[in-house]
Amino acid sequence: MLPTRKLLRNFKLLAALALLAACSNSDPGTEEETFNTSDRGVFVLCEGNFNAGNATLSYYNPDTREVQNAVFYRANDRRLGDTGQSICLHGQTAYIAVENSGIIWAIDASTFRVLGQLTTGQTQHMTNPRYIHFLSDHKAYVTDLYAPYVTVFDPQTMTYLASISTKQPEAYGYSSTEQMVQYGREVFTNCWSYSNKLLVLDSEHDVLADSITLSSWQPKSMVIDARGKLWVVTDGGYATDEGSFGDNIPHLYRIDATTHRIELDHTLDSDESSVQLATDPSGTILYLINNDVYRMGIEDAHLPVRPFITAERNERGLRHKLYGIGIDPHNGEIYVADAVDFSQSGVVLRYTAEGILVDQFRVGINPNGFAFK
Amino acid sequence: MRGISTLITFLLSCALYAQTDSLLHEVRITAQRRLSETGVQRTTLDTTILHQNVSLSMSDVLTQHSSLFIKSYGRATESTAEFRGTSPSHTQVLWNGLKINSPMLGTVDFSTIPSYFVDEANLLHGASSLTLTGGGLGGAVDLCTQPVRKRGWGVQYIQGIGSYDTYDQFLRLTYGGQCWTSSTRVVYATSNNRFHYTNYDKKIDERDDAGNIIRSYHPRELNRSGYFHDFHALQEFSLRPASIPGALATAAVWFTHSLRGLPFLSVDYRDDSDFRNEQLQDAVRSVISWQQPLGSSASLDARAGYTYQSIAYDYATKSHTPSSSSSTPVDGASSAVSSPSFTTITDSHTYSQQAYLQGKIDYSPAANWLLTANLSLTYNHVRSRDQSPFHIGDNYNEGRLESSLSLSAKYRPTSRLALSAILREELYRRDFVPLIPALFGEYTLLTTATHSGRTAGLYLKASIARNYRYPTMDDLYFKPGGNPDLRPERGFTYDGGLEGHLQLPLGRRDLSLVIRGNLSAFDSYITDWILWTPNAKGYWQPSNLKKVHNYGTELSLTSELHLPHDWHFALTANYAYTPSLNQSEDLDAADASYGKQLVYVPLHSANLSARLRWRTWGLAYQWYSYSERFTTTSNEVGYITGRLKPYYMSDLTFEKQFRWRRFQASIKAAIYNLFDSEYVTVLSRPMAGRHFEIFLEICPL
Repeated sequence: MLPTRKLLRNFKLLAALALLAACSNSDPGTEEETFNTSDRGVFVLCEGNFNAGNATLSYYNPDTREVQNAVFYRANDRRLGDTGQSICLHGQTAYIAVENSGIIWAIDASTFRVLGQLTTGQTQHMTNPRYIHFLSDHKAYVTDLYAPYVTVFDPQTMTYLASISTKQPEAYGYSSTEQMVQYGREVFTNCWSYSNKLLVLDSEHDVLADSITLSSWQPKSMVIDARGKLWVVTDGGYATDEGSFGDNIPHLYRIDATTHRIELDHTLDSDESSVQLATDPSGTILYLINNDVYRMGIEDAHLPVRPFITAERNERGLRHKLYGIGIDPHNGEIYVADAVDFSQSGVVLRYTAEGILVDQFRVGINPNGFAFK
Repeated sequence: MRGISTLITFLLSCALYAQTDSLLHEVRITAQRRLSETGVQRTTLDTTILHQNVSLSMSDVLTQHSSLFIKSYGRATESTAEFRGTSPSHTQVLWNGLKINSPMLGTVDFSTIPSYFVDEANLLHGASSLTLTGGGLGGAVDLCTQPVRKRGWGVQYIQGIGSYDTYDQFLRLTYGGQCWTSSTRVVYATSNNRFHYTNYDKKIDERDDAGNIIRSYHPRELNRSGYFHDFHALQEFSLRPASIPGALATAAVWFTHSLRGLPFLSVDYRDDSDFRNEQLQDAVRSVISWQQPLGSSASLDARAGYTYQSIAYDYATKSHTPSSSSSTPVDGASSAVSSPSFTTITDSHTYSQQAYLQGKIDYSPAANWLLTANLSLTYNHVRSRDQSPFHIGDNYNEGRLESSLSLSAKYRPTSRLALSAILREELYRRDFVPLIPALFGEYTLLTTATHSGRTAGLYLKASIARNYRYPTMDDLYFKPGGNPDLRPERGFTYDGGLEGHLQLPLGRRDLSLVIRGNLSAFDSYITDWILWTPNAKGYWQPSNLKKVHNYGTELSLTSELHLPHDWHFALTANYAYTPSLNQSEDLDAADASYGKQLVYVPLHSANLSARLRWRTWGLAYQWYSYSERFTTTSNEVGYITGRLKPYYMSDLTFEKQFRWRRFQASIKAAIYNLFDSEYVTVLSRPMAGRHFEIFLEICPL
């Protein structure tokens, strides 16, 4: 019959297309790379984009000025997760809280190989882990964005120990918990999300011991200095139609860690909401990152007027937008992060303790956390 | 590029064929093309394509049969459509004349539109969207239902049963009378959607007692929290009053109730049983219309519509409520722990209402003139609030009156040349958008028809337009972040192309070939593109940051071959080449995004659909492909998640129809992802492997 041959041709066409379609994209996976890094190095945690699962970890050797990107993935053939929130070192192990994956990774700080993990399923209350604070080799606290609990776990065995309720009695004033600093047996944590609280945890009994109410909303960053004074900066929150979560005016507070009394309250300009704090290795110098980097002594009565480090400009006069800071505890070198447009590789700028630019390098998306080995 | 050259070859051969033919036979000019279509770049999808499969949404149909890029996370997840490398909010979508873009986001989720609820879809590319509405910087999608044509009662029921506990039900009742018709359509789709996939983003380490790794592997995991329950009902009436010849009144009401889980990321280590992460959507859209000829040279089209939409997003975690502020030891022995309950993290609700009035008059003072005036008034009201304990109060509660007036003139100075001009003015509250002008031209290179039934046509089309998209209500009013100082996005576009058709009777009455093709090239610039970026406080804020240059080509080809002995073969193919380049000023000293392809926009996209039918047997094959897509604005290919690999997808459908004295029935089997490809279309969102669905259709005669 006339059409039979043509039909066969058509079927051949379909078959050819099918073969083309069969050449599809299965992921073959990759092999783990072997790393054996030197004693000294800087971890840069890049949080990635929310809901994209593209957080990465970079490692920088300050001696050779070499940077290795995505070392967690390369060493372990698995992704770090969604929204890498914080990284800290304890001994030879780096701990990484990946907030929207609900996991804390423990990795070898030299080989970057996974040693263990703590997931939400292993705990009773952890949902979105934010920051980790070590109390001993066998006890650490984890704060949480949503759960009104601080989780206690054993960092050696990566096992869950207990939960500390942080529930606040107010109708609103969310008790999400963020950064932690310790003074004596008390651990202070700031409640950033829709709150104006600092909480004080008794680390011996693992209970909520006290809280401090600030006049400004959303305490964002916190450090403790050499004299036992707590420095806290807020972003000022914002107002809604029916309920107020602030007035958009950030404040810088100095609080006595013993008495929990607010000693100083500096009002910052409303556009200074991205302030983050850090101290030098001795705890006597305070760094504030606020577009530029400012430096002040802990005894200074006034805020610095001129920047200590002015954000670098490129040949066309465009500035780096500085928004993350870390101080190398070994030599006081200053590392600041630039997230660029939040959707491409960020840049880290390295300065000496005197504020001289030493190096700059590309890392992952949204670099925002440093840990120094 | 080979595809383009093939089409050009076809179009030229079409022209040559017609010229040769004209030497041999008497040539007559066929009816002129509709003046209202002058210069318009349009892709039309009819019921053959739209009603292929009851499980398909408009998102699937557009993926398989158009050059639009559909960004989708899988079945029953948010799916948006982009024309020519623009953004989803640059695609304006109308349903029976009613604009259904979200007034909050400016986008449309095409996964919530069952393709069985649409009888004709027209895709208007670039400037052509201005024939319908403003703001479509990429284009517009016009979805229409049509009055029942069949006289008497009609019943159609389709039952689909598929992998992952998927059930699709469709029922349609129709009545066609002398003057009026009625159509009732109901779709109910439900699935737990828990498909297995190999998770290459995770790896399990098995260790011995000493802690040494003895084996590592990528786990097989389930797609979690991807369930859906979608219910749609559509009631339509049409009336042709005998007292007013040519008049038509229609009414349509479309109700939607949709509950969908939001799937977990492949990098999420949490247990889905500890979370509730779902979206509940209810919507009612209604339109009434009146169309009437006004004398012999004018016509009136008047419409009114109302939409109510409620979207709730609920994110909650299971928690144990302690009785006091005390620690909870791991052994759980403490009395401080009570039974688990869900703690709300996010409980956001948006309620939007839209009232709509439109009047359009066409006036043709002479056979070669068509004048059109179109006025529409839309009132949008949105209340957006979060009811979680952590965020009390409205994000915003605003209303906005939007007015649009367009005047157009279409003129055919010669039999071959047609020109069209549109002027559109839009008003948002008291804020006038700058005047939107558009010009269209069309030249008939040839049109022939012979007594033997051979016909051919070849047309040259071009258009140029300026267009504006006004900021959405979220852009302006959302707290925190809304920016009341935003300017409208500005677009400038021009395009040109060839359209051709060829019909060959092939010498026998039962043997014929029809080919239609369209090739166009476009060049567009969008400035003041609104971009949401995170600010220092951690929330997102929009600003007029971006400037984008889009250009490229679009190609479509359809052919139908009728063969003896009831064989019928149809082929549809589309291809788009879409560079979409960021030309914004650098945001930062380290910004490397200038000149780079926009995130998630493929440079190449293509699809092909082949359908073979013999008497009561049918076989259909769909193939579609996207080239690699970048996930960073700087297009870093070295970054581990910097790009998504190109992928090809194939679906196969087999159908057999049966006919009895009182019933007509068919059974259809569909294989999706025929070659079991492992792929993602969006980062960390795994897609289903090969899966199946069987459909049984019954129509009493």
